[in-house]
Amino acid sequence: MQARLTGRNAAELRFRLYGLFAIGAAIATLGVLLFSIVGKGYTAFVQTEILLDVRFDAAAIGDLEDLEGEGRRAALQRADYGALLRESLREQFPDVEGRTAIRSLTALVSTGARAMLREKIADDPALLDRSVPLWLTADDEVDMLMKGQIARDVPESERRLSDVQLAWVDALEAEGRIRTVFNRTFLTAGDSREPELAGVWGALVGSFLTLAVALGVSFPIGVLTAVYLEEFAPKNRWTDLVEVNINNLAAVPSIVYGLLGLAVFLNILQLPRSAPLVGGLTLALMTLPTIIIAARSAILGVPPSIREAARGVGASPLQVVAHHVLPLALPGILTGTIIGMARALGETAPLLMVGMVAFIVDVPGSLTDAATVLPVQIFLWADSPERGFVEKVSGAILVLMTFLLLMNAGAIVMRQKFEKRW
Amino acid sequence: MLLAPSDSEAEVIVPEPSTEEFRPKMNATAVDVYYGDTHAVKKVDLPILEGDVTALIGPSGCGKSTLLRCFNRMNDAIAACRVEGEITLEGRSIFDAEIDVVELRARVGMVFQKPNPFPKSVYDNVAYGPRIHGIARKGPEMDAIVASSLERAGLWQEVKDRLQESGTALSGGQQQRLCIARAIAVDPEVILMDEPCSALDPIATAKIEELICELRGRFAIAIVTHNMQQAARVSQRTAFFHLGELVEYGRTEDIFTNPVQERTRDYITGRYG
Ligand SMILES: Nc1ncnc2c1ncn2[C@@H]1O[C@H](COP(=O)(O)OP(=O)(O)O)[C@@H](O)[C@H]1O
Ligand SMILES: [Mg+2]
Repeated sequence: MQARLTGRNAAELRFRLYGLFAIGAAIATLGVLLFSIVGKGYTAFVQTEILLDVRFDAAAIGDLEDLEGEGRRAALQRADYGALLRESLREQFPDVEGRTAIRSLTALVSTGARAMLREKIADDPALLDRSVPLWLTADDEVDMLMKGQIARDVPESERRLSDVQLAWVDALEAEGRIRTVFNRTFLTAGDSREPELAGVWGALVGSFLTLAVALGVSFPIGVLTAVYLEEFAPKNRWTDLVEVNINNLAAVPSIVYGLLGLAVFLNILQLPRSAPLVGGLTLALMTLPTIIIAARSAILGVPPSIREAARGVGASPLQVVAHHVLPLALPGILTGTIIGMARALGETAPLLMVGMVAFIVDVPGSLTDAATVLPVQIFLWADSPERGFVEKVSGAILVLMTFLLLMNAGAIVMRQKFEKRW
Repeated sequence: MLLAPSDSEAEVIVPEPSTEEFRPKMNATAVDVYYGDTHAVKKVDLPILEGDVTALIGPSGCGKSTLLRCFNRMNDAIAACRVEGEITLEGRSIFDAEIDVVELRARVGMVFQKPNPFPKSVYDNVAYGPRIHGIARKGPEMDAIVASSLERAGLWQEVKDRLQESGTALSGGQQQRLCIARAIAVDPEVILMDEPCSALDPIATAKIEELICELRGRFAIAIVTHNMQQAARVSQRTAFFHLGELVEYGRTEDIFTNPVQERTRDYITGRYG
C-alpha cells in the first residue's frame, strides 16, 4: 500500500515535470523567435538620410511662373531632377570627374530622391533658383552600410559599395551629413523594387480589405448555417450528411480552396484577378467550416432550460434564437470567428491561385483593385536578392503579428462586453 | 360538461359529477403521448378547473410532466414526441389550426422544475413576455406590469431595489418566484407548474406554496408534485397517475382520505413511489 502510494506520487511528480518542461520549451522557442524577428526587424523601421544642398535650377526645371494647372504639372513632370541631384553632389565633392565616377556618386542617393525634389518644388515654387539644404533618402546600400550589414574588410570586388563610395560616405558622415530617422516610407508606401522605397501599407490595406470581405461573407453565412442546423433543421440522414461534410471541409488543405476560387470566381463569374474581393471570397470559403463548427458548439452550449423558458412565455422559434440563444452563444461564436480570421490572415496558398501574388506598387483603393496581402508580401520580399529586403521581411512580420494581436485584442474586448451584458 | 369514463379501464373513476359547479378551463380527452415507441401517457382524461389548483401526483416516470407539457404544447419542440387525443382551452381545441401556439402559451403559462430565469436583469425577465406579445410598451406602462407581477409573485419587497441586477444572481427560491412573476406578467388564464419546489429548500418551498394559494382563483393552476403534503396543502383536485395511466381523479380531500383505488391508497400511504 505504502509502496504503491509512493509510486503514484512519483508518477505524479514526473508528469508535472514533463508538463513544466513542455511549457518551458514552448516559451523558450517563442522567445527565441520573437527575439530574432525583433532583432532583425527593428532596423526596417529606421532609414538613413543624406543632407545635400540642392539648388532648384530654373534652367533644369523651366519657368513655372506663367504656367497653370496641367501645363505646370507637365513641366514639373518633365524636369530633370537627376541633374539637380548630380549638381548638388558634385558641389559636395568637386574633385569627382568622369561619367562612371559621377554615376557611382549619385548612386549613394535613392532614386526616390527625385520624386522628393519634385514634390518639394511643386509645394513651394518660391524655391526656384534657390539653394536649400534637404535630407534625402539614402540608397539601400548606404543604408545597409550604416546599419552595419556591409562588412568593410572584405575585398572590394565582393562588396556592394566600392572603396571610393565608402570614402564618400565617410566624408559625408564626418561632416554630419548623414543621419538615421524613423522610416515613414515603410509604413505608408506600397511595394517597390528599391528596398528603401518599399513599404507594407499596400499589403496591409490589401490584407484588411481581403479580411473584411472574408468576414463579411463567412460570418453571417456561417452563423445562419449553424443556427439553422442546430435550432431548426430536422435531425435526419440529410442533415447528418451535411454535418459530416462540414467537418470534413474544415480539414481540406487551403490550396484546394484556392483552386475552387480560381474556378468559380475567376473563370465562371469573371471577377477581377488579384483583387481583395476574390481573395476575400476564397478565404471566406475556407473559413466557413471553422465558423460553422464553432458557432454550432457555442449554440449547443446554451442551456436548453433557457430555450424552454423563452418558449414557455410564448416566444416564437425565431425569437428564442434571436433574443436568447444567439446573445448567449455570441462569445463562443466570436472566438471561433477570430480563430478562423487569424488563419485567413496568415494564408498565402489559396491567394496564389487567384493571382494575389503580384508585384503591386499602388495601395489598393477598392475591393476590385489589384492588391497583395501581408504574408504574400513577406514571401515576395524574402524571395528578393537585395540585402535591404531582409530587414523588411522581419519588419513586415512584425507588422503582421501586430495586426494579429490587435485583432485578437478586439475579439477579447468584444467578448467581454457581451459577456458582461448577461 | 361531463367526462366520459375511459373504456380501456373498467375501474377508472368518472371525474367528479356535475353536482357541484364543474367548469373545466382546459380539458384533456383520451390523450395519448408517445416518445418514439415509448407510450408515456395512455388514454388520459383530465380537466383543469377554473379557479382551482389541480395536483398531478404519481411515481417518477409516470408521465405527469409529459401530460402537463401537452397543455401548452411544449412537447411540439421534441421531435420524437407524438400527441394524440383532444385538449381544449375554453372549449376550443388547442391543436386547432387557427390557434397559434405563441398565443396559446401566452394564455397557458408554465413554470419549470429547475428555476430558469433568463440571464438578464430581473426587470427584463418579467418584461420579456409582455414585450414580445405587445401587451405594453417601454416606460411607465411596462414598469407597472413588472411591479404588479413581482408583487403578485411575492417578490417585490425583496427585489424592488435590484431590478437591474441579473435574475440569475437571486437565490433559488427567489429565482423560482421570478419565474412565476414572468409567467403571470402576460396575464395567462392557466399556469402549469412542473415540480416548482423540487429544487428548493423548505422555507422557499413554503413561500411558493403560499403564493400558489394566493394565485388560485385568479388562474387555473395545474401543478405536478412529488410531495404528498404539498398536494394536500395547495390543491383542490388531485389526479393520481401510474405508468402513464390516470388511476384516480377527484377532490383532493377524497383522494387523500378515501381513495377508491388500491394503487392510489398504496401510493399515498407511501407503499411505493
Ligand atoms: N424527451 C423525452 N424523450 C424520450 N422519452 C421521454 C422524454 N421525456 C420523458 N420521456 C419518457 O416518458 C416517460 C414519462 O416521463 P415524465 O413525463 O417526465 O415523467 P414524470 O414527470 O412523471 O416523472 C418516462 O418513461 C420518460 O423516460
Ligand atoms: Mg417530471
